[in-house]
Amino acid sequence: MSAASTNPEWVAKVQNQSRLSFGLAVTDMAARDDRVVAISADTLDLIGLREMVAAAPERVIEAGIAEQNAMGMASGLATTGMRPYLCGYAPFITARSMEQLRNDVAYANQRVVIGAACSGIVLGVSGGTHHALEDIALMRSLPNMTVMVPADALEAWHLTQATETLDGPSYVRIGGKFDEPAVTAVDASPTIGKATTLRRGTDVTVIACGCMVVEALAAADELASEGIGVRVLNMHTIKPLDRDAVLAAAAETRGIVAAEEHHLTGGLGGAIAELVAEEHPTRMRFVGMPDTFATVGPTRKVREKYGMSAANIAVKCRELMG
Amino acid sequence: MLTNREATLDELRAHALQIRRNVWRALHAAGSGHMGGSLSAADILAALYFHHLRLRPSEPDWADRDRFILSKGHANAALGAVLAQAGFIDDAVLDQFYAYESLFGMHPDIKMAGVEMSTGGLGHGLSIGLGVALGARLQNKGFRTIVMLGDGELQEGSNWEAAMAASHQKAANLTAILDYNKVQQSGHVSEMLTLEPAPDKWRAFGWAVREIDGHDMDQIISALDELPYVEDKPSIIIAHTVKGKGVSFAEDTHLWHNNMVPDEVFEKAMAELGEPA
Ligand SMILES: Cc1ncc(C[n+]2csc(CCOP(=O)(O)OP(=O)(O)O)c2C)c(N)n1
Repeated sequence: MSAASTNPEWVAKVQNQSRLSFGLAVTDMAARDDRVVAISADTLDLIGLREMVAAAPERVIEAGIAEQNAMGMASGLATTGMRPYLCGYAPFITARSMEQLRNDVAYANQRVVIGAACSGIVLGVSGGTHHALEDIALMRSLPNMTVMVPADALEAWHLTQATETLDGPSYVRIGGKFDEPAVTAVDASPTIGKATTLRRGTDVTVIACGCMVVEALAAADELASEGIGVRVLNMHTIKPLDRDAVLAAAAETRGIVAAEEHHLTGGLGGAIAELVAEEHPTRMRFVGMPDTFATVGPTRKVREKYGMSAANIAVKCRELMG
Repeated sequence: MLTNREATLDELRAHALQIRRNVWRALHAAGSGHMGGSLSAADILAALYFHHLRLRPSEPDWADRDRFILSKGHANAALGAVLAQAGFIDDAVLDQFYAYESLFGMHPDIKMAGVEMSTGGLGHGLSIGLGVALGARLQNKGFRTIVMLGDGELQEGSNWEAAMAASHQKAANLTAILDYNKVQQSGHVSEMLTLEPAPDKWRAFGWAVREIDGHDMDQIISALDELPYVEDKPSIIIAHTVKGKGVSFAEDTHLWHNNMVPDEVFEKAMAELGEPA
């Protein structure tokens, strides 16, 4: 972990800057590493690149609204030893440029870091074209790809910084305003591939990622008052999955509830189920988007409609207790 | 005495003003939205819906209707406005912009009356429009297909695949209208990723090109009336427009691409637009 990442000034700034944390982390890395280059797809304000435009304009490449070209360029830059950070909207930078992502980035195993903002139902009122509820599944299905889903701005900052240690491609799924209460301690240093244990219960386990982590904590608090001890894991890295943490939860608690702002198909829950089915079968419940396109509406209300809430996580935990 | 044409132009200008007012009304109801690209398109939309397109608002699925696809779907406030004014949807729907479970969200939803395609991801409409145009031709139908594009949108390569295919197919029943307001989300198109020389690009791709002032109603309806320009080529109307047209503080800047609309902003905008005569 870089020294800069725990600099209090940055920490304060990032905590206030929500989804801009990715771009701020890239700007910070660019100041100490000439190989860092940011690519925007008309996303300068989306993800926090304005400061880098001021500090190192020659290392911000504006690709325009052309995600496929941006992805191919990122791959090409990486082959020359540059370290491209590609900044896009989650729904477009994944699905739109999926073939470039698969062939030029994942298959060719190029060190491209994708920062994907406005994931899940963050753009709730924008409707289905702008919801990204399949991106984890798409990214997780690609060999070589590291897939991260930070729970808050500070974690996004840390994990983006941590991509310095990776040799292959990676995906950082960034939400929206991160206006949920922060879950990452100021002095935390999350490690790629290692879940963070937020509650140490032994009755049931909730494994959550992204904005569902705070919901899991709220559910755990509610269940604690009923005498149910909930283990809460923040699985900020979906791939590689923290096998030890998942298998320990399967062995030590009565079952696992997976919670994510993503389709039930192919996301975090799927990844956990694939592992425990083979290595330690346990009862599971899934909280996430059912197999339908989400309605238009304010993010939180839409999440709740489809059960992505503390209340529903609690319901699923009680089922596993029974 | 006004000539017939002058009367028509005045009527269309009044519709355009009403579209602009309704855009702000919808955005105000939602609390925010894409004013820039909705206002630049207002005059063209008025001409399309109240002059050019053959439609039956009470029968939105009429098989022989002309098709209009708003490829730059983020200008949906303007589309909703014109659909309400033309009677496809209830006027009250405009106050449901962005509302929970509303069919009138930020982007067009094919489930809403009068909307031909769900759009919002940029760079889809022209391919879809070509498919519609080819469907018309294969079924010997005379309906026409018009697709509205944004200038930033044209940075998506898919548009150019569609452009190439449309001229290869000699799809003269397909028209694109470029709302060339020179501004995209993070800045001016010329600085982000230029489109110039835009007319030459379209000509090179085999299209018949007409350039107009997209706020001059006379030029807009002439350009529409004279379609298609060449018997066996798709046509594009390159309409030079001003992003945010009609509301001074929103004009020609990316800062009002998509912004908040608190009461003060709404009132300022409405005051500048003024009441229809
Ligand atoms: C594929 C895709 N990438 C990015 C976006 C996000 N986005 C919405 S509007 C916009 C700018 C569009 O600019 P332009 O086409 O010039 O529209 P206008 O100025 O007419 O509003 C962007 C980048 C999107 N909707 N779709």
